[in-house]
Amino acid sequence: MASDKSAQSPAVSARGVDKSFGRIKVLDDLTVDIPRGVTYCLLGPNGSGKTTFIRAIVGMLKLNGGDLQVLGQPVSQVQTIYSRIGYMTQHKALYPDLTLQENLEFFAGLYSIEKQERERRITDLLDMVNLLEHRHRLAGDLSGGMYQRLSLACTLIHEPELLLLDEPTVGVDPRLRQTFWDYFDRLTSQGKTVLITTHLMDEAEKCKIVGYMRAGRMTAVGSPDEIKRLAGLKPRLELWLKEPEKDAARLKDLGYEIDSVDIAEGLVRIRLQSHDRIKGLLEEVAPLDMRLKEPTLEEAFLRLSEAA
Amino acid sequence: MIGMNLKVDVDPRRIGVVALRVIRQLKRDRRTIGLITFAPIVLMILFGYALSGDMSGVTLGLVDGGGHDVLKAHLEGIKDFNILYLGSESDAERLVSEGRLNGAVVLEPGEVRVLLDATSIQISNTILAAAQAGAQEEMAKLLESLASLPSQGAKSGDMSGDVNLIVTRYLFGYDLEMMDTVGPAILGLVVFFFTFINASISFIRERSQGTLEKFMVSPLSRVEMVSGYVLGFSLFTLLQSTTTLLVVTYGFGVPMRGNPLTALAVVLLLGAGALVLGSFFSNFARSEFQVVQFIPLIITPQIVLCGVWWPLQSVPEFIRPISYILPLTYAGDALRAVMLKGAGVADILYPDLFALGVFFLVFFLAATLMLRREVG
Ligand SMILES: Nc1ncnc2c1ncn2[C@@H]1O[C@H](COP(=O)(O)OP(=O)(O)O)[C@@H](O)[C@H]1O
Ligand SMILES: [Mg+2]
Repeated sequence: MASDKSAQSPAVSARGVDKSFGRIKVLDDLTVDIPRGVTYCLLGPNGSGKTTFIRAIVGMLKLNGGDLQVLGQPVSQVQTIYSRIGYMTQHKALYPDLTLQENLEFFAGLYSIEKQERERRITDLLDMVNLLEHRHRLAGDLSGGMYQRLSLACTLIHEPELLLLDEPTVGVDPRLRQTFWDYFDRLTSQGKTVLITTHLMDEAEKCKIVGYMRAGRMTAVGSPDEIKRLAGLKPRLELWLKEPEKDAARLKDLGYEIDSVDIAEGLVRIRLQSHDRIKGLLEEVAPLDMRLKEPTLEEAFLRLSEAA
Repeated sequence: MIGMNLKVDVDPRRIGVVALRVIRQLKRDRRTIGLITFAPIVLMILFGYALSGDMSGVTLGLVDGGGHDVLKAHLEGIKDFNILYLGSESDAERLVSEGRLNGAVVLEPGEVRVLLDATSIQISNTILAAAQAGAQEEMAKLLESLASLPSQGAKSGDMSGDVNLIVTRYLFGYDLEMMDTVGPAILGLVVFFFTFINASISFIRERSQGTLEKFMVSPLSRVEMVSGYVLGFSLFTLLQSTTTLLVVTYGFGVPMRGNPLTALAVVLLLGAGALVLGSFFSNFARSEFQVVQFIPLIITPQIVLCGVWWPLQSVPEFIRPISYILPLTYAGDALRAVMLKGAGVADILYPDLFALGVFFLVFFLAATLMLRREVG
């Protein structure tokens, strides 16, 4: 693969991709590059076109326009590289009337994986998703989160180079979620690419790159920190003061940006230019209590979408 | 076209993987397993008994060429027999073949010929037994009367040879005992019905579960997928039709004159047709419940028009073309030929097996082509 010229190209490269269902434009001049060897998060509210974009990548949709390349191949040829792609659908594609083992055996069979190797991978993956003890239970008897985990295991069975995971962590508890992320890190360190969609901000914070999608367009792309900076967000300091009005006025004169003053609570909110200014502030006022709030990705996107 | 993953390579191993999965799923479906055992019993009782109103009445033709008054009187004396007096043997032959008579007895001075309908063994046996009993009675009477004559030895030998000369001729009639006619058709019907419903539901589930979408993004081609289904369901059909065959032949005494393997081959072809038809129609249903709505559309016409309950000739001419495109018409015909008349593969090759084969191929193609359309 390393000698493959296409290995230098992005895992997914979209240029002006358009897709309409009837009169509804779902992908609107979508342009994005998803580099190899990273965990890329496609973030966006429900209905923003994330699932549609993933379906376009796997060649299930007839595009209305634009250029789409997958692992260096035009999307019209994507079926020739299906064995290198792992696709976890939003509706977890499993057979509830088969056991976990049988589900995994089946999906392994589609990729012609030899029996011995298959058993090894099944054991490894069930262990990773913490379902080893349920190996011979029917998938239909699993809880929602377990079902989700099995679905992920089925998607990973053929060790794909490009993983497309549509909302993979819905219903998965935070501790196991961390296990997933660690596993994704392992995959990306091997040069594999993981594309994840989510509508949850805290999920996106963990990704190397976040693409924010809105109404079928990419409105912002970057690392979580970059996006916050791009949105022009500053950390916020909350101060509980004895004389909020008076102190707020004084701080304002000193050039601090006062966000709001709540006299009843005795609470003053300040936007900080930088963290260095906290020290100077404490020389001026003596708060009863204080709290520092970092901007969230959510605020960043909110800001960005307001601006758009 | 972008996204039309037209993959034509076929790997038997992947077909096997799909087949194995289908079998595992069917094996686990206890209700279906139970249904395929009990459905034929219920249907046999329902169609076999309910439709056979005149099972006790045997209609017998009688051609009286003279010379056997005792035998004739014996037959006339049997309560279950309705005797129809005919002028000639050829009339009798025709009526037996047309199924209007269960059999006929032709009395001639030197010979008694019994024409029997080979397709309903019980009735034939009844008629033959009655004729033999009558002949014995006649013989006894003769011996009695001969005893009073002086030169008895030579004459009695003559006469006994005369009466014992009952010649049986088997004809193939249409109007069989209801149970027998219905048996082969039930076999076809049960297999068709369950395969169609099961296949439609399976394919709808593949779609609603999202597994179909996952297939589409794997090296599995559509041809392999449908083939895997055909293979998996065929093994199931084999089990199902063997069960039904046993129920029908042992439980209800329907004859199996031909090779049971030939009958199974017919059923397999029919089942494969039902599967691809189910797969094709699953594209027009959104839920498993909607599949049930296909029953009046797909199943009922086949039951009504397949020529089992009444002959195709009695179906109005403008509807008859429909009969000739329904697979159950051909399967029913082939199964009756094999089971009741002992037909071999060569006898049912055309039009029955040919029509079933064409039906399968057409819908295999249609099902395969439809599989790619469902996602935007
Ligand atoms: N097959 C389809 N036919 C018609 N509309 C569709 C289809 N798939 C998606 N849409 C519409 O496209 C929009 C984006 O859907 P989707 O890509 O599923 O969003 P997301 O995954 O971000 O929630 C929605 O308004 C949805 O109703
Ligand atoms: Mg979605």
